[in-house]
Amino acid sequence: MPVQVYSLYIFDRHTECIYSKQWVQPATPASSTLPSTVTDQHRQTNGTELAATAAEQLPPKPRRNKGADDAKLIFGTVFSLRNMVRKLGGDDDAFISFRTAQYKLHYYETPTNLRFALLTEPGALSMRNVLHQIYINLWVEYVVKNPLSPVEHKGGEGVRNEMFELGLDKFIRGLM
Amino acid sequence: MSASKAARVGEEIWKGRVDKVNAELVVLTYGTIVAQLCKDFDSDYVQVNKQLDKMGYNIGLRLIEDYLAKSNTMRRCSNFRETADMLAKVGFKIFLNITPTVTNWTSDNKQFSLVFEENPLADFVELPDDGRAQDELWYSNIFCGVLRGALEMVQMQVEAHFISDVLRGNDTTEMRVSLIRYIDDELPPEDD
Amino acid sequence: MSYYFVIVGTEDNPLFEYEFGTSKAGGDGQARFPEQARHMNQFIVHSSLDIVEEVQWGTGQMYLKCVDRFYNNYVSCFLTGGNVKFMLLHQPPSSSVSSTSNPRSSTSTIATNPMSPQTEEAVRAFMLEIYESWVKTIMNPFYRVNMEVRSPIFRQRVAAAGRKYL
Repeated sequence: MPVQVYSLYIFDRHTECIYSKQWVQPATPASSTLPSTVTDQHRQTNGTELAATAAEQLPPKPRRNKGADDAKLIFGTVFSLRNMVRKLGGDDDAFISFRTAQYKLHYYETPTNLRFALLTEPGALSMRNVLHQIYINLWVEYVVKNPLSPVEHKGGEGVRNEMFELGLDKFIRGLM
Repeated sequence: MSASKAARVGEEIWKGRVDKVNAELVVLTYGTIVAQLCKDFDSDYVQVNKQLDKMGYNIGLRLIEDYLAKSNTMRRCSNFRETADMLAKVGFKIFLNITPTVTNWTSDNKQFSLVFEENPLADFVELPDDGRAQDELWYSNIFCGVLRGALEMVQMQVEAHFISDVLRGNDTTEMRVSLIRYIDDELPPEDD
Repeated sequence: MSYYFVIVGTEDNPLFEYEFGTSKAGGDGQARFPEQARHMNQFIVHSSLDIVEEVQWGTGQMYLKCVDRFYNNYVSCFLTGGNVKFMLLHQPPSSSVSSTSNPRSSTSTIATNPMSPQTEEAVRAFMLEIYESWVKTIMNPFYRVNMEVRSPIFRQRVAAAGRKYL
């Protein structure tokens, strides 16, 4: 079943966003009066573009940092959720995804604290396996095993290599 | 994961999912590195040990990801004893096809020994007979660094060193590994 | 029979020397070179190197058998692929020595007759066994080309091969 993939974010163990890529813009809903949810609340306080409905309530932001801001927000969110999940469900419990009216965020974390966040259309099934595949077949093969790539990817260094980007793009487009 | 299950997992991965390489190539490559280090540091073996450890550390930082990918590990070990078993029975198995024995635990479960019955790095090796190498050089010291680097990436700070080596004329080759602490997750920087 | 075994590097430099005697036919494995002629062994072997260089391209074999003779001294040679030469000098006992120390020596050709086919085969086996140990020894990362071999393990293996075949 094809699925619309909006974007992917990768965070390293130092909480820095070391890779992000957007494929499809999330569809802006025709009606902006969707029933409010818990995540709606969250959007109003933190969201920028993902919550177009809330945009007018926010002070105008400089657009140039939007990508970086999004990444920070996403990290903050998934990090809190993950910690909360562990607190409630025990250390082995894992936070898998959350959904809003407009998107679904899939989360995957490796034991080395590498974190993947994938945004898709809200109706998507679990993408946990997809993220696991990205980790073992693309990340480990093309980033970790590339001897010229640094161990720490400050500012995304070493991640944006051709093999990884091409492989990722092909893999994601294959899903759509 | 229990020790016997770990052994099965290691065996399975070694058989199915690992590219093999000629053992002599490994022996000669590693040997050349050690010999060159000895030359570069003018037979200052303390320095050579340090360099080997450092190189191992850098390998470990990466190797752990490959380990996790190959072994499909999704969760952390529940305690240090499990970590030791996974190291010996899966880690060493899939990368070197050896299974060192885990033994000599301290009562607080924070220190153990890995005893190597075989060591694929040390085939053909005889230490230089300059009267010092036998007492100062830890030929396979790269292993210590690999463990340190790999475990650091999964939030364990450890200290590892060899305490005996058959190359030196000891009866066994034994490495001591101690858990210093579990590393906390890093927090995102405070927003400005 | 007394043997003097030497490994010669690519620059005609000695890398390893070992003296031993026959262990066949009740021999005690001790070399019995006459004291006043013992220092000649090196010279004899060294002068044979010229002949080795002549015949080495002729056969395509690693084992060149007995290449040279100087009075009662016979020199056999085995070449490695890296042009390292294993040289074995054999000196059969002069008749007086053999009759006292080795009364049964006449029954074994290996112990007395350096030119017999049995001796040739025994030396081949000896050389091949040493070749195997040699390869392992030079695989030692701390060994460099044309360096003297001081490994006690290698010496033991040479001694064992000598006891086994000669």
